Amino acid sequence: MKLIETDVLVIGAGPAGSSTAKHAALNGAEVILIDKKSEIGSPKRCAEGVSKEGLKKLGIEPNSRWVTKELSGVRLISPNGTDVWMKEDQVKLPEAGYILERKVFDKFMAMDAARAGATIMIKTLARGMRKDYEGYIVSCESMGEDFEIKAKIVVGADGPESRVGRWGGLKTAVKPKNMESGIQFEMVGLEMEDPDVIEFYFGSVAPGGYAWIFPKGDDIANVGLGIVSTVTDKSAYEHLVEFVKNCPATQNAQPVELNVGGDPVGGMTKNLVKDSLMIVGDAAGHVNPLTGGGIITALEAGMYAGEVAAAAVKEDNYTEKRLKEYQEICKIEIGDSFDKYLKTKDYLLSLSDSDLDSIAAAFQDTEFENISTKELIKLLIKVSPKALLKLGKLF
Amino acid sequence: MIVKEYCMYCGECAGVCPHCLIEVRETSIDFNEEGCKDCGICIQVCPVKALAKED
Ligand SMILES: Cc1cc2nc3c(=O)[nH]c(=O)nc-3n(C[C@H](O)[C@H](O)[C@H](O)COP(=O)(O)OP(=O)(O)OC[C@H]3O[C@@H](n4cnc5c(N)ncnc54)[C@H](O)[C@@H]3O)c2cc1C
Repeated sequence: MKLIETDVLVIGAGPAGSSTAKHAALNGAEVILIDKKSEIGSPKRCAEGVSKEGLKKLGIEPNSRWVTKELSGVRLISPNGTDVWMKEDQVKLPEAGYILERKVFDKFMAMDAARAGATIMIKTLARGMRKDYEGYIVSCESMGEDFEIKAKIVVGADGPESRVGRWGGLKTAVKPKNMESGIQFEMVGLEMEDPDVIEFYFGSVAPGGYAWIFPKGDDIANVGLGIVSTVTDKSAYEHLVEFVKNCPATQNAQPVELNVGGDPVGGMTKNLVKDSLMIVGDAAGHVNPLTGGGIITALEAGMYAGEVAAAAVKEDNYTEKRLKEYQEICKIEIGDSFDKYLKTKDYLLSLSDSDLDSIAAAFQDTEFENISTKELIKLLIKVSPKALLKLGKLF
Repeated sequence: MIVKEYCMYCGECAGVCPHCLIEVRETSIDFNEEGCKDCGICIQVCPVKALAKED
């Protein structure tokens, strides 16, 4: 059987994999990046929202080919329709951002990896792997051909499926209570109160999660929701159909696309490395447990993973001990804040629809100055004695 | 496992399978039925309810 050798094999060309491949290649490693899909980025499994700050931190310049909308505010809607508006002309919104076109964005990120020197193989499925004295041999299949790739370091960037980590002995199976089932229509003909504002709907409309409308154009938006299957008998699809039927903005809207996908919201996986193995992005639980957002953290963790992998190659040291540097950076930069968001999410999910309505009403009477996720939680603590009790020490 | 025609191959089932028995390709899905312990978690999480147990 054909055997290809490389320093680093990255499995999965989503944001996490492309970023890992780019940074490993930029730092001198020989890199192969594979994806089972025939088109990187498609089908999208995402509402496509990112913060401007996040992209800036990673040195990624916004590009008109993949930014569909620049946002100017946020609208939070409680179960009885009480809404809280936060607009950029009245409050500072450090996390306001863009809605992307992921099908284009993901391809751009992969192109950056290729320009940095990585070899990309599309329509290439990793099927399993075995340990070799120095690294792993991964069984692959592409266009009917079986072959193997031998790598000193394998990076599992295989998204919520996260099988690569498990092949290497990491515990990446997600418990159903920690897997948000996401579903979304991209729709046209929306009548939004403000098409530059993203909307979040809370409560029993989406048990275990929330519903969203993320605008991509004046009358175009991703309309979706995430639920946790352990707290509802209905499917995510049934919840979405009901939401679209009842939401004022979607009464005359038509779907042009249906997207589904799992979002692992249980926090960062404890162990991210083993000898010759690293995991990154959704595969490593690099998803904000409160918001479900994982694009920026996937790119960020990919940057750390690529840098550490390339350094390990230079030093000819692929041990777990060497690769742990990556895990430690992730813990400080990503994992620690996720622990707090996880606790906040658990608290929010314990609230009834009427609790949420009261909080929204209290927020309406509040003056906002500078709003980020953290500031919102601080405000929540201010207006709700119950929240103060549960979250006061964390924020 | 019965995979209904409208499965969208999102892979959520593969992520929760405690025994790593599900291989999702671009337009097909393979279950390693031999190792399956019938826990039903994959059926439960599917966003479009495209999976069902065989009778
Ligand atoms: C409905 C929904 C809405 C979301 N909305 C947002 C949002 O608005 N903002 C945000 O920041 N995040 C959002 N997320 C989360 C975000 O989409 C993910 O966190 C992000 O895509 C993670 O990137 P990744 O590279 O880790 O994984 P992915 O983007 O899932 O990429 C993994 C890649 O690995 C490939 N792969 C898997 N297995 C194999 C294999 N065996 N061999 C070869 N290739 C393989 C897949 O084909 C895929 O291309 C949302 C998620 C969902 C489900």
